[in-house]
Amino acid sequence: MNGRTRILNLLEGRAVDRLPLMPITMMFAADQIGVPYGEYATDHRLLARGQIETSRRFDFDYVSAISDPCREAADLGAAIECYPDQPPAIVESEALLSDPRHLARLDCPDPTSGPRMADRIAAIALLRHEIGDEKLVEGWIEGPCAEAANLRGINTLMLDFVDEPDFVRDLCAFCVDLGLRFARAQVAAGADLIGIGDAAASLVGPAIYEEFVFPAERRLVDGIHAMGARTRLHICGRTRRLLPLLADLGVDILDLDWMVPIEEARAACGPEQVLLGNIDPVGVLRNAGPEDVRDGIRRCHAAAGRRYVVAAGCEIVRDTPLRNLREMVEYARGHGCDAEPTPSPPRAH
Amino acid sequence: MTPMKELYEAILTGNRDAAAELTRQALEGSVDPQSLIDGAMIPAMAEVGRRFEEEEYFVPELLLSARAMKTALELISPLLSETGAPSKGCVVMGTVQGDLHDIGKNLVSAMLEGAGFDVVDLGADVSPEKFVATVEENGASLVGLSVLLTVTMPSMTSTIEALEAAGLRDRVKILVGGAPLSAEHADAIGADAYADNATAAVRAAHELVGA
Repeated sequence: MNGRTRILNLLEGRAVDRLPLMPITMMFAADQIGVPYGEYATDHRLLARGQIETSRRFDFDYVSAISDPCREAADLGAAIECYPDQPPAIVESEALLSDPRHLARLDCPDPTSGPRMADRIAAIALLRHEIGDEKLVEGWIEGPCAEAANLRGINTLMLDFVDEPDFVRDLCAFCVDLGLRFARAQVAAGADLIGIGDAAASLVGPAIYEEFVFPAERRLVDGIHAMGARTRLHICGRTRRLLPLLADLGVDILDLDWMVPIEEARAACGPEQVLLGNIDPVGVLRNAGPEDVRDGIRRCHAAAGRRYVVAAGCEIVRDTPLRNLREMVEYARGHGCDAEPTPSPPRAH
Repeated sequence: MTPMKELYEAILTGNRDAAAELTRQALEGSVDPQSLIDGAMIPAMAEVGRRFEEEEYFVPELLLSARAMKTALELISPLLSETGAPSKGCVVMGTVQGDLHDIGKNLVSAMLEGAGFDVVDLGADVSPEKFVATVEENGASLVGLSVLLTVTMPSMTSTIEALEAAGLRDRVKILVGGAPLSAEHADAIGADAYADNATAAVRAAHELVGA
């Protein structure tokens, strides 16, 4: 069974031979092929090579075009700080929508014409061409709260939820339209699944999430499903209090950061929601040893049950020891989805 | 409800306009400005911190309360400078060089200010040299370093080394925080304390400066 079939079978409720493996790699993948991250994030050929080589080297079930949160904002004209060897970042002090009235004259761009969005679309096409059906191809877009934060400034947006609620609704609607356009182009280029990164959503509580973010994310998810693609929602940060709402989004894969108790996610979402994650990528996967990695994944698997995808809670950081990552891979290889998690052997002291 | 309690509630609920109006009224009524800080502002921000830690408040609520507190404080500060206001010490805050993420640092700055510290917030992407110069200039007793990216964590180390090289390390305590950090890492790089949220940072700051 190849990786693409493995993931799609799990999502469709069909049998799989082992747990799917979908860790996020960005700087780690660039390092695997020895290119500076600034080049990886801006040259689709390097991104595709990094993803394919990394995915094959570690037997991941997918490749992804994820790179940084700035592609859509950059093509809209936002100020971006670029670095030689780390991800581009938004310059909040020069936020594109520092004046909210400017939203009315902001055009939703054609993703194929903006250089950074077009580069991701080209990455998807190249990944699909090179990898065929061997592995699932994942596209990526910013979620409505994250993109609103990119355009308005994250600090200002947090106050806008109370000060300017109508503006926030309009901004989220714009971001959903932008996300759907970008997703459609990536699906057309060959993406099987669209990852939605909505990190800023972890900063708000259930009331604001339900009023502003949930309806926008829901429209995005429904729109991507209507294109025939699958969805993965990744919100960096603490989303424990949002779990009852996240359960109703209808995402195919709910990707949880490490601080979210996965058993609470299972209780909130019911037995059929596919959960992904969520060992601590720094505290455990990078800083601890293989036994801790295995223990951590075993606990996640035990809490998540059979509808589970192996990964860390967030990106595999660049200096993660390879033996730790291989331990994660071996866990997935050694467990079918219906298998009980293997009890950890006694530790040698 | 007493005027002091009303100001407390205005800050707790993030009502900037009410906080300003109540402060004006209190000052016109010859209320001691320091008593507004001690009786309403600091307790309100302490309660905001408790609610944030208990996940009853989230970032928007914390920022709204901090803004209401700052609005009131701006009306009070000129009067305090005439009388020589007591302070718990000067804290220099910043996100380390190469890292533009500042919301966590902003939350800590707001909470420290709400707790009665003088805060010099240098923003994001702050060089070690800038930290050193600002500590010297302000006679700071505490430095708060924030980081979000694992790739910029070395900047935290180089900032601590720069403070050592400038001969300032003995007179400032260093508090660090940020998503990829841990208490063990803070210890390894020579920081004095680590906090994983804004409320814990205020507790740590009090312990470090003995306030």
